[in-house]
Amino acid sequence: MGSVRTVPEQAPRLTRAVHGVTSVAMGDGTSYAGGTLTVSAAEAESVLADPALASVRVTWTSPGDSARIVKVLDAVEPRTKGPGGGGIFPGFLGPARAQGRGTTHVLRGATVVAAGYLPRAQEAVVEMSGPVAEMSPLGSRHNLVVEFTPAEGAPWEDVDRALRRGVIALAARLAEAALDAEPDEVEELPAVGGGDGEVDGLPRVGAVTNLQTQGNFKDVFVYGRSFGTALPTLLDPGDVDDGAVVSGQFGHPSLKNPTLVHQNHPVVAALRARHGTDLSFAGLVIAPEPVDAVQKDLVAAHAARVCAAAGFDAAVVTKEGGGNADADVSLKMDALEDAGIAAVGIFAEMAGPDGTGPPVVVPPERATAMVSAGNYDERLTLPEVERALGGEQVALLELPATAAMELPTAVIYCANSPLGWGRLTCAEAPTP
Amino acid sequence: MSRVVHYINQFFAGIGGEDKAGTPPESRPGPVGPGRRLQELLAPDHEIVATVLCGDDHAASGPEAIEEIMRLVSEHDPDLLVAGPAFTSGRYGLACARVAAAATAAGIPVVAAMHEENPGLEEAGGAPVVASGEAARRMAQSLDTLAAAVRALLAGEELTAAHGRIGAIPRRVRVADDDAATRAVALAMARLGGDREATEVPLPRFDKVAPAAPVDPSEVTVAILTEGALVPDDNPGHLESARATRWLRYPLEGLESLPAGEWRSVHGGFSTQWANEDPHRILPLDAARELEEHGAIGRLHAAYLVTAGNGTSVGNARRFGIEWAADLRHSEVRAAILTST
Repeated sequence: MGSVRTVPEQAPRLTRAVHGVTSVAMGDGTSYAGGTLTVSAAEAESVLADPALASVRVTWTSPGDSARIVKVLDAVEPRTKGPGGGGIFPGFLGPARAQGRGTTHVLRGATVVAAGYLPRAQEAVVEMSGPVAEMSPLGSRHNLVVEFTPAEGAPWEDVDRALRRGVIALAARLAEAALDAEPDEVEELPAVGGGDGEVDGLPRVGAVTNLQTQGNFKDVFVYGRSFGTALPTLLDPGDVDDGAVVSGQFGHPSLKNPTLVHQNHPVVAALRARHGTDLSFAGLVIAPEPVDAVQKDLVAAHAARVCAAAGFDAAVVTKEGGGNADADVSLKMDALEDAGIAAVGIFAEMAGPDGTGPPVVVPPERATAMVSAGNYDERLTLPEVERALGGEQVALLELPATAAMELPTAVIYCANSPLGWGRLTCAEAPTP
Repeated sequence: MSRVVHYINQFFAGIGGEDKAGTPPESRPGPVGPGRRLQELLAPDHEIVATVLCGDDHAASGPEAIEEIMRLVSEHDPDLLVAGPAFTSGRYGLACARVAAAATAAGIPVVAAMHEENPGLEEAGGAPVVASGEAARRMAQSLDTLAAAVRALLAGEELTAAHGRIGAIPRRVRVADDDAATRAVALAMARLGGDREATEVPLPRFDKVAPAAPVDPSEVTVAILTEGALVPDDNPGHLESARATRWLRYPLEGLESLPAGEWRSVHGGFSTQWANEDPHRILPLDAARELEEHGAIGRLHAAYLVTAGNGTSVGNARRFGIEWAADLRHSEVRAAILTST
């Protein structure tokens, strides 16, 4: 008797039930109605409670406020798949099970943001109004800022862990308030990478996403575990929507990819947008960014092999971090081109304040197609603001956090988003 | 009629050569020297209202000299400043480039002219520079190019390679219509469509140097070199601590070691406390003499070469490399150890 392969009429897909957040408030209970998200500070604090934290404070700041958030750590979009999280943030809130199917509720327009001192964290600034606000994804969102005081004697690693778990749990808890609400939008996401995701005859284009994995406070977690020692692997893009990738990387503010940006992976979104029209979304490959050269070579070679095995015709390669991470993009671009796969890299330029220096620290040798995410050295002027969250001072300048100041773009959270969130680029300016 | 101020050096102003290189800045009405021909080319639309001149040594001496020059320039309230042509003259090119950079910072439209290989070119930053010939015998063509650039700038045009523009063109931040991810996917599709040229970032050009063939160090003269700015204690050659424009050669003949107090590092990029406590930490003469004694190296070169590698422009660093290679080859040195900090 021959085996019978049953092809489901419709492969399981992920649906996003989107609930827009247009206003926020503090109240006695946590609720969501008519676009207003109300948060109970007491409940939020109990969700965040941890032996490593002496105290926590939660404060809303919204677009248009004369406010600045400094020392920004991770930012998370509230999402849930059901009561108790329902499998969201696998490996953190529940068992590390593959997700990316069923319905995920999204509170679009709100984030939970941790802000304060951690070792190795570099000063990261978000403006809530003025011309710099739009350079960060947080500048146009309602942010529930979590400030904290570490418990006496608590190791910093425990403080970091407590914040990560607490912020994720709080984000899931907030999203649960919308479980019974009628969504504003229902987004059916395409299945990709084989099965009914295959679109015959169209070029297969995928994403290669490097995660900066360089030890404590500069690490990225996949299914709840550090990805530092992993080899590149395919990940279902729906898993990224469901929080399988969580950031614990606090270096390079303008060049970082917080959990929020992974949840809304810009390259995945761009590929989904054209899937079935003029390309077939071939899949998402995630890769660590090791620090030593031999490991970088190994990871690049493996990433190219995974892409080849998955039948990629082209790939968009992205990074997280500074010049060191340029090498991770360039090595992969060259390895992909050598395997006959067209490679495009997203780079932030590091060309000096006047934009005349070499733009890329480690350019590819054979690949040539690069997209610019702006020049991280370009100077910005920030106005004085009424209120600052996250700290009293801006670390780099030893100025009050509310003061007017001049800073390089490098300090603005996600301003040169290497995952492709932003609209900054660079062009030659013959007249300086 | 647009008001133009012209910057030139003491030589082209007719004051004198090397002996007059210390001449401080001064301002004279109307065109001077090459400015006369430039005025003919710019007439009748534009007028050279004044010429600011300065000796090359004085102009290259530091930021104060450029400030003095710019004060004189500003007094004439120019619509545009023109500097040079400096041809391949290093200090003159440096002065023109720095004046152009200062004018740009002050919001004064400017164009300088020099040869593409002038070591000063990089100092212009993103300020416009157009190509000149190698030497004054190319004055006529060089002024034609420069005059055309002046006219273009005063007509509101941007200077490009078509105008003979050389040097760095600044890349400034712009806001694109789409996010970077969307543009990257579009670029991938363009590449799959056969476009292998499309990119938003030009590939930076770094020199790749093929290593020389190995030598047997026991049979050759070996030099020790450093960018650690280790010099005799009184720094007789006035090596700069940062953004060096020069390198120096000091004898090692008869020296077995470098005693603390007699040598010091003037490097501005690190704490020199430990280098000065034991100068061999920067220039390992003690170890080199030992190797020489044991025959591990044939002979130690009788001098060492030194500069300060701290914010040094790529242009100057390249020039030092060329000059060092020539100097060492001339001395029949076949291997060298360059220490860095």
